[in-house]
Amino acid sequence: MDNKINLSQLAERLAQEGGMSKAAAEQFVKNFFDIISQRVLVEGLVKVKGLGTFKLIQMEDRESVNVNTGERFTIEGHQKISFVPDADLKDRINKPFAAFDTVEISKEQAEALSRMDEEDEQEAVAPVAPAAPEIPAAPEKPAVSEKPAEEPKKSAKEKRLEQKQAKKAEEAKMKAQKQQEKKEAAKVVDTPTVKDITQKKGTRCLLKVLIAILTMILVIGLVLFMLWPVVGNSVLDIVEKNLNKAKIEMVSDSVKTVAPAEVAPVKAVEAPAETESAKPAESPAVKPAQPQQKPAEPAVKPAKTPAGTDALTAAKYPVIKLNSKDEAKDLSEFTLADVVNYSMEGVLDTYTLKKGETLTIVALNYYGSKKLWPYIAKYNNIKDPARLKAGTVVKVPVLKSK
Amino acid sequence: MNNKQFLNELSDKCQIGAEQAATQVEQLIGVMEKIWQDGDSVSLSGFGVLEVKKKNERVSVNPTTGVRMLVPPKLVLTYKPSSLLKEKLK
Repeated sequence: MDNKINLSQLAERLAQEGGMSKAAAEQFVKNFFDIISQRVLVEGLVKVKGLGTFKLIQMEDRESVNVNTGERFTIEGHQKISFVPDADLKDRINKPFAAFDTVEISKEQAEALSRMDEEDEQEAVAPVAPAAPEIPAAPEKPAVSEKPAEEPKKSAKEKRLEQKQAKKAEEAKMKAQKQQEKKEAAKVVDTPTVKDITQKKGTRCLLKVLIAILTMILVIGLVLFMLWPVVGNSVLDIVEKNLNKAKIEMVSDSVKTVAPAEVAPVKAVEAPAETESAKPAESPAVKPAQPQQKPAEPAVKPAKTPAGTDALTAAKYPVIKLNSKDEAKDLSEFTLADVVNYSMEGVLDTYTLKKGETLTIVALNYYGSKKLWPYIAKYNNIKDPARLKAGTVVKVPVLKSK
Repeated sequence: MNNKQFLNELSDKCQIGAEQAATQVEQLIGVMEKIWQDGDSVSLSGFGVLEVKKKNERVSVNPTTGVRMLVPPKLVLTYKPSSLLKEKLK
């Protein structure tokens, strides 16, 4: 397949076929093609029975556009050698596809065909959209697997809250986009069609994002629902242990500093929501029902302004005032402050990350506070702590307060 | 230049009889056909490349009647002249 057969190879095969010497065959093949190429230039037409027709054709001047600059230029007329294969040869070459016929199709069928093509394209793009809402929550995800759980009800609530936050971020983005589009639309008031198009685009975009979020929620709910019975019992013991630990942790955290305290509890509380494994087993019966309720809630108030949702959230959960954007800001702030408070001196231990573990967990285990994870990140030159792989070996530094 | 003229010139150049030239031409084309059926291409310096290309199926529309036709995929023998030959054209 895809080999290039040159003159000598061709002559060799011909010699085998025709029972002549290789030299004679080579001479014959050479003459064969020489005559064609010479004569087609002189006479403009060479017909070879069994092979086809070589013809010299005149190309007219034509205009074209430079793809890079958009400039128009003319391609001057020139001559071109065309080749039309012999009808018999053509049929024999096309034998593998000879069974196919040109079929008349209806408009609907044609549209279905082109739609199929489009779907193929969209499939490639689709996975990106559902992933988007998850990004704001990503930094918290780590804390999860060993993390303690509050009562199940609360964790479910937290989950909803988290989703709301993610949605809020999404909505904010959408809003910004919309505003921009509006501005653009305002600019081109004279041409209402353009405005229409932009608005259409906006609504389509909004719809897509909404659908993506809803599917996300559904999937999470389903996974939780299915995994619960398997994981729940085995984790029960660990969960109880960690529960006490975490409570103490939280209290001490909030006492230590005021500003970080606001963030820390949020993290602690949000964490359990993230995993199935950490779910407490205290009320297994209640559990399965909750994931199903979840999808409904965000769907009810999709159009709320970020401010409105904020107020609502604040009323329900006074502790968590931050939306995801603020939280990210605060996180970086205390990260910096903490790094200033301690100095790193020597290696305390090395630790290999297991699946689902993050630096926060390592920090919690070694220092008793997950807030100190930035030290580990800094000490190991980890640039993207949210995307660590299982099996990563980290050095845990000794911390001394300045 | 038709096939007869072509065969005459070929037999003159190779100093063989016209009949022999005709059979050898047939054999040569038979050999090349096998090459194409294997998916290979015939490439000769100074002449060009003769190869088989696959054309994908497509929907074509008759502009006057608006009838849509699904044209099946096909294998087509194509010829691309060598740059040397193209130079001579100018």
